[in-house]
Amino acid sequence: MALVELRNVCKSFTKGDQTITPLDHVDLDIEAGDFVSLMGPSGTGKSTLLNLISGIDRVDEGSISVDGVGVTELSRGKLADWRAKHLGYIFQTHNLIPVLTTYENVELPTLLLRLSSAQRRQRVELALEAVGLTDRSNHYPSQLSGGQEQRVGIARAIVSHPQVVVADEPTGSLDTKTSEQIQILLQRLNQELDITLLMVTHDAEVAAIASRRLLLDEGKFVEQNTDTHLKSSG
Amino acid sequence: MLKYVIKTLWRHRTRTFLTVSGAAVAMFVFCFVGSVQEGLNRLSNGEDANRSLIVFQENRFCPTSSRLPQDYANQIGKIEGVADVMPIQVWTNNCRASLDIVVFNGADPEKIQQNRPLQLVEGDWQEFESRRDAAIVGKNVATRRGIKRGDQFSIGNISVNVAAIFESNVPAEENLIYTNLDFLQYTQGLDSAGLVTQHEVMLNNNADPDRVAREIDQALRAGPVATTTRRKGAFQASTLADLVDLIGFAHWLGFACVGLVLTLVATTTVMSVEDRMKEYAVLQTIGIRPLRTLRLVLTESTLLCLVGGLTGTGLALLALSLGGFAIGAEGTTIAFQPSIDLLFYGIVVSISLGVISGLVPAIQAATVPIVKALNQP
Repeated sequence: MALVELRNVCKSFTKGDQTITPLDHVDLDIEAGDFVSLMGPSGTGKSTLLNLISGIDRVDEGSISVDGVGVTELSRGKLADWRAKHLGYIFQTHNLIPVLTTYENVELPTLLLRLSSAQRRQRVELALEAVGLTDRSNHYPSQLSGGQEQRVGIARAIVSHPQVVVADEPTGSLDTKTSEQIQILLQRLNQELDITLLMVTHDAEVAAIASRRLLLDEGKFVEQNTDTHLKSSG
Repeated sequence: MLKYVIKTLWRHRTRTFLTVSGAAVAMFVFCFVGSVQEGLNRLSNGEDANRSLIVFQENRFCPTSSRLPQDYANQIGKIEGVADVMPIQVWTNNCRASLDIVVFNGADPEKIQQNRPLQLVEGDWQEFESRRDAAIVGKNVATRRGIKRGDQFSIGNISVNVAAIFESNVPAEENLIYTNLDFLQYTQGLDSAGLVTQHEVMLNNNADPDRVAREIDQALRAGPVATTTRRKGAFQASTLADLVDLIGFAHWLGFACVGLVLTLVATTTVMSVEDRMKEYAVLQTIGIRPLRTLRLVLTESTLLCLVGGLTGTGLALLALSLGGFAIGAEGTTIAFQPSIDLLFYGIVVSISLGVISGLVPAIQAATVPIVKALNQP
């Protein structure tokens, strides 16, 4: 059984008089430990897919389960609890809490878990070490560069040891050099910490670091293997 | 999470400071109005309000116009249910409503000591009893007028030597100056000898005050001056009738202050929450429950109200305790006193206003459409 399973998922939006259906009865399986990149033209529903898997948006039809938990069945409150324990979210624009320091931003998700203060401290320190920001723990987001902010965002996403981390264009707002550093970091997290990653990106070079690459087009997934062999999975 | 709330408030410290200041000013006024109301309630419903009677000249209201024979005390003392009678000559510098009223009560020092709940904080009873022009001064008058023991205090045609300063568990007492009855009668002229303004009648524990009042008026009807006898509480409420209307109006001012705090804190919290909708969406994305988000906003609004409310209440209590304020008319005074009740109301009102004012923005934050808010620039 796959870690993440999407079955027959549909999602439509109404824009003016038009109804757009970015996800039209799609199926997808992601195995534990996978690093999946998802590409596709703008408006094809890549971010929508992440939001549906994260439970911050609702499907119109179909079901999503993560490690056997029916995400589509849970209430808003229970979804929040589930995200706190099992899902990390990396935003394109970092979305750090400006009034909290690096340490406090990373600590935030751990406050929602049943951990002692010593365990919490240990997890935060490990997460900051993993992203190489131990020396910036007392800095506020306004005192960090864009790349450092994104690394704090990544530390925040992994600190609760989630089963799956979703990243919505994590390098989208960064320059080339910083983007490369983040790509290396994501790759390390997947390989060394065995974190299952699902990443949305526009950039083919960024997508290339993933072990499995998917293209979302006209509401269907197209698998792009390393040998460029395309396989329809919709 | 409290750290997050405090840091959020600190981030917009000018807005926070202005809101807290506004809440503090409004709660200051609220407590001040509350203390006036409390003072009036104490006068009308206090311990001795129903266990003492005041015998006054019929159809007279101002102390200067009530003139009763002093020896009425003997007749009153014989009526069943009367424990003691204290003839009192009252002199006031102002019969109309005033914030700086000075009221002299001339009575027998021994009876004052027996019947009044006074504790001397400076000076002694012996000096008061032995010196004809001696006076003991209530703490509030002393504070307000800067009177100290040994001072010669003069007002109008009265000049007294301050033998002692007293405090009392009945706040209105602390706005009085007690002198010897003979002395006060003498200062009113020779024709005042043997006349007093009123008789205060202390009742036995089981006496029915209304029956005794009726019997007093009945017994004195044959005398040279007819009387009206009422319970002390009713007498004071009737004396202060004009002020009671004003205090009733001031009560609405207190409610207006509550409304002001509510509007002020609600506006600040709504502004703060609307500025941070994306932040609340992020918090919920990382796993904070909607109910917890609701609590975060409520904590924010409650903290604003509580800090402002406690500051305003604290300042009001301090001012009331140091200022010795009182308002009076026709020889009766209402003391504005700090009290535990006022502090309690201040805290309860502040917390309640904090919760109520934060409710709408808290619901907004808890039910924020996450994806829409995350897509905000």
